[in-house]
Amino acid sequence: MSQQETLLSIRNLNVRFKQEDAEPFHALKGINLDIPKNTTVALVGESGSGKSVTSMAIMQLLPAMQTLIDPASQILFEGRNLLELEGAELRRLRGKDIAMIFQEPMSSLNPVFTVGDQIVETLMLHAKLSRSAAAKRALELLIEVGLPDPEKKIKAYPHELSGGQQQRVMIAIAIACEPKLLIADEPTTALDVTIQKQILELIAKLQARRGMSVLFITHDLGLVGEFADKVVVMRHGEIRESDDVKQIFENPQDAYTKALLACRPQLDHRPLRLPVIDDFMKPGGYVSAGERQRGYSGDDEIVLDVQGLAKSFDIRHGLFGKKQFHAVKNVSFKLARGKTLGIVGESGSGKTTVGLTLVRLHQATGGKALFEGKDLLAMSPKEFHAYKRRIQIIFQNPYASLNPRFTVEQILSEPMMLHGIGNNPAERRKMAQDLLDRVGLPARSLLKYPHEFSGGQRQRIAIARCLTMKPEVLICDESVSALDVSVQAQVLNLLQDLQDEFKLSYLFISHDLAVVKHISDQVLVMNKGEVVEQGNADAIYRQPQESYTKRLLDSIPQGWTGGAPVLA
Amino acid sequence: MFAYIVRRVLQMIPTLFGVMLLVFVLFNVFGGDPSLVLAGKHLTAESLANIRAQLGLDKSQFAQFMIFVKQVLTLDFGTSWSTQQPVSDIIGSRIGPSLLLTGSMLVVDLLIAIPLAATVAYFRRGLTDRIVTICCTIAMSVSALVYIIAGQYWLAYKWGLFPVSGWGNSAFHNLWYYVPLPMLMGLMVSLGPDIRFYRSFFVEELSNDYVRTARAKGLSERVVMLKHVLRNALIPVVTTVMMSLPYLLIGALVLETFFSIPGMGNAVVLAVNNSDFPIIKAITVYIALATMVFNLLADLIYKLIDPRVQLK
Amino acid sequence: MTSTVQAAPAMNSTPEVHRGFWALGWRRLKRDKIAMVSLMVVGAFLAIAIAGWFNIIGDGWRKEVAVPYAPPSWLAQSADETLPPAEEEAGARSDAPIVTMTEAEDPIGKELAIARQNMGKYASVETPLRESLPFGGDLRGRDVIVKTIKGTSTSVFVGIFGALFTLLLGTVLGAISGYFGGKVDDFLNWFYSVFTSVPDMLLLLSFAAVAGRGIKTIIIVMALTSWTGTYRLVRAEYLKLKNREFVQAASAIGASDTRRIFVHILPNISHLLLVQFSLLTVALIKYEAILSFLGFGVGVTQVSLGSMLAEAPAELVQGVWWQMVAVTIAMSLLVTAFSLLVDGLRDAFDPKANK
Repeated sequence: MSQQETLLSIRNLNVRFKQEDAEPFHALKGINLDIPKNTTVALVGESGSGKSVTSMAIMQLLPAMQTLIDPASQILFEGRNLLELEGAELRRLRGKDIAMIFQEPMSSLNPVFTVGDQIVETLMLHAKLSRSAAAKRALELLIEVGLPDPEKKIKAYPHELSGGQQQRVMIAIAIACEPKLLIADEPTTALDVTIQKQILELIAKLQARRGMSVLFITHDLGLVGEFADKVVVMRHGEIRESDDVKQIFENPQDAYTKALLACRPQLDHRPLRLPVIDDFMKPGGYVSAGERQRGYSGDDEIVLDVQGLAKSFDIRHGLFGKKQFHAVKNVSFKLARGKTLGIVGESGSGKTTVGLTLVRLHQATGGKALFEGKDLLAMSPKEFHAYKRRIQIIFQNPYASLNPRFTVEQILSEPMMLHGIGNNPAERRKMAQDLLDRVGLPARSLLKYPHEFSGGQRQRIAIARCLTMKPEVLICDESVSALDVSVQAQVLNLLQDLQDEFKLSYLFISHDLAVVKHISDQVLVMNKGEVVEQGNADAIYRQPQESYTKRLLDSIPQGWTGGAPVLA
Repeated sequence: MFAYIVRRVLQMIPTLFGVMLLVFVLFNVFGGDPSLVLAGKHLTAESLANIRAQLGLDKSQFAQFMIFVKQVLTLDFGTSWSTQQPVSDIIGSRIGPSLLLTGSMLVVDLLIAIPLAATVAYFRRGLTDRIVTICCTIAMSVSALVYIIAGQYWLAYKWGLFPVSGWGNSAFHNLWYYVPLPMLMGLMVSLGPDIRFYRSFFVEELSNDYVRTARAKGLSERVVMLKHVLRNALIPVVTTVMMSLPYLLIGALVLETFFSIPGMGNAVVLAVNNSDFPIIKAITVYIALATMVFNLLADLIYKLIDPRVQLK
Repeated sequence: MTSTVQAAPAMNSTPEVHRGFWALGWRRLKRDKIAMVSLMVVGAFLAIAIAGWFNIIGDGWRKEVAVPYAPPSWLAQSADETLPPAEEEAGARSDAPIVTMTEAEDPIGKELAIARQNMGKYASVETPLRESLPFGGDLRGRDVIVKTIKGTSTSVFVGIFGALFTLLLGTVLGAISGYFGGKVDDFLNWFYSVFTSVPDMLLLLSFAAVAGRGIKTIIIVMALTSWTGTYRLVRAEYLKLKNREFVQAASAIGASDTRRIFVHILPNISHLLLVQFSLLTVALIKYEAILSFLGFGVGVTQVSLGSMLAEAPAELVQGVWWQMVAVTIAMSLLVTAFSLLVDGLRDAFDPKANK
């Protein structure tokens, strides 16, 4: 597996960023990291851990004006300290000895040059090939990275390719000059789960064939189990644990590593409450509390009955015509009181549109949504206003769902004012304080503005905002997808507590299959606007009937599988 | 593509109609009765009635509007009220000087502003950047009038480096002799804002992800700037230039007035002074039409240089 | 119960001061020295302008206190050397008798005799005209400094109120257009394209040609021609923000359209409106100068920086430069300060824009 020779050695890397108003932010607190030759090293951490900073520091890609690197820090590569390189020497290193691919392939490629030109550019620069030789080599590279239809695509512009194809192009550019080290900074985070699997397989294949080392940066520990040789866990600018992949998964030493491994929802069991970091950090460690059973029983009260929901969008076509894009076609389901219905699918499946249509943020083009016998979709806006407080929605982006100019108190009192809850401001403030306490935030948060909170905290405020109206149905539209794994666990636990206490019914929309399985009683699988499969969560995950469902489940990263080679 | 052009041309019609309506309402409805002005010294009831009949002022507003529409469609706006010359002749003779002046100003402006903006963006946030930005701001703040008055007085009158005003007969002679001073004055006014504007395009491009990728590939800062960033920044620059082309036709109103250049702008100022409505109306409609056509051209060129654009 | 483990991003350790958007921006602005200096200069100009509106200062600009073209006091030459000899008022102080009739023949002889007797009793306060003024005098001997103050006051008045009306018009139309979309948007877009098809100066002059002169007139005229920039900006912002999650959340909660437009979205663009207001003020001050110069701006009995510049070419030929310099200094200082302030405001409220 890993050879003893070290390719890159980071010693005492100490990085600070200048801040406007405060002391410089200490991003990396003197870390030490070794990357051996011909090895895949996974650098795992949540947001703010410093993993990206580490990777950018290697090639001096950090913004020069704001970065303060301690002079005692060293990054040794083939005997030289990379932090001391400048000018032509540095440029020779970049792209030739060490190459990098980034998270957002769409914006990382230059939009005005063709894909082929961008690969040729690297080849002409470092490999000193002539333009025609470089063009030939570029085509070979595109074939090697598995880009479909490479002869045509080589003349395409980046925006004409899909996300996965763009990332393949980025990989082709990176490996063009046979680098010794490939740094991959969250390369699959922005991609669908099925595409993600393909890209990971590609990287593993290239690593094996070319004998290069890969530094793979990700926030998802479960992802790396299948192809990493060594795992390094970071938190708050420090390395918590660094070991062979087998050790990390089977015998983690550090409390944080244990927490990271445990707090992700698993497919094979469903704890009563997801473990969170605190559970591991306190003395005594984590004690599991038992399993939770889920599923619809026969005599559940049905609170929302959706029949034949459909939504189409008009797109301009031709001179005067319009074409219809069917986002949602004929979706039906029943939501039981106090239970959760999960809707799972990839991007473009229509799952988000279902949620938005039910709260009438989009106008449905067909179907019914029966609530207490009345069709929510057919009511006049005035009639619907009375029902608004009973069916609420929590959005995905915690940074955009709270008005930046409102204080938390204003955010929470507004729904109360609009629905006549509470008789005066003092009463409303008391209710707001109670709710903040319920979602785990201190009362003095009332005076603060959204930008003073983290992502997880903002989602709690959003949840509190919904609770002010005492709703019966809550639609969670990818509500935990933008959160770190540990924060996600906290919010999922909160949602579960609230459901247990208030008998809330959830419609939980997500692309994350493990999360959906954990929180849902029933699951709806959607693809291209249609329901592919529907049933009790356990049943579907254990024995999927449809091929699409099977393909989805296969793509879920298996985590550590005991050393058996999963990827060729 | 064809469908797009057709749709855009069809959209121009209501806009042109709107411009005609605007011009009509302004001049015919609010503008007051011109027959008194035209009758001049020979004011008798008879001559008034004659003039009214001639101009069609004795008909209803709607009928007058239809006459105006016909004028626009046949490109015949009658004769100027002050000089009695046919409006089309006047306009025809004045486009040339305007274009010569503003055209050469545009070319020189671009040749200076773009490289300077790129250089300044390259050194952004440094001392050079701040100094140049402040200089541009100060230059922008001095009124065009001051530049022109001072320039004309010192450079032309006192030191005799340029002619004080006037215009010649051959394009070449004009370009070498009469254009430089007004062009210099015009540049003093336009370079400041243009440099700042183009700089912002470059700075914005520099903050994009593909710049990071280019650096990661090992390209030098120079190549990153001149090849990757420039090509992208040119898109908004070209768009801006295309959109400013129709303004070339109107000429630089103030410059032409000061330097007695017989261009369109000068014509407008004279016409407004003399309440010579036919000229103002004609020029307004023509310029509006030219603006719409140039906007369409700008969008088409935009499609050529930015591969992401899809015209629908 | 879950506790909050996740630390908030880089929070200040200072005690409970919760800074909203404006407070944060203000702090950033204070750190920008150039912007603060500009702010003070603009403030000073505003103070002068307001004082001028209420005629606290600059009121007596019309008084002809000096000889024509009186030079500045700090120049050695006096008026006598600058100009051709002043013409005497016809029949003013000549002592030589013109009338050659005797008192008896004179039809008003008796009255004149009485008047001559009374002459010594009434004192007329006639201050002699000064030979020079602190910054010189204009054609009619009016004090350039006082005139500049009043002129600045007028120009600033026109600029600010013109900008206010323009902003109001453009914002209302842009908000309606961006928020409601559909046919309303189509109609207002048509309106917008009609106005933008005609170049600024042309439109201004066309309006001015029919409207005439005067302060109120040009304020209205400038508002009617400049609203398009604000319209486009506000419309784009409303289009963008209308679909943001916090506005959708407001809709889901039950907020009405009006509430969403004014309470939710508008505060989020207020900083852009501030910048726009400043830009418009600067632009309108410059436009007013050109308009007044060409003869279409303020009325004949009013003075503005533009009308003062209008007198400059004639003065320069005679070697009289002080009025032009005074106006140039005043106007350049004001516009420079304002422009630098706008830059500072932009940086303070949208710091990402300039990295």
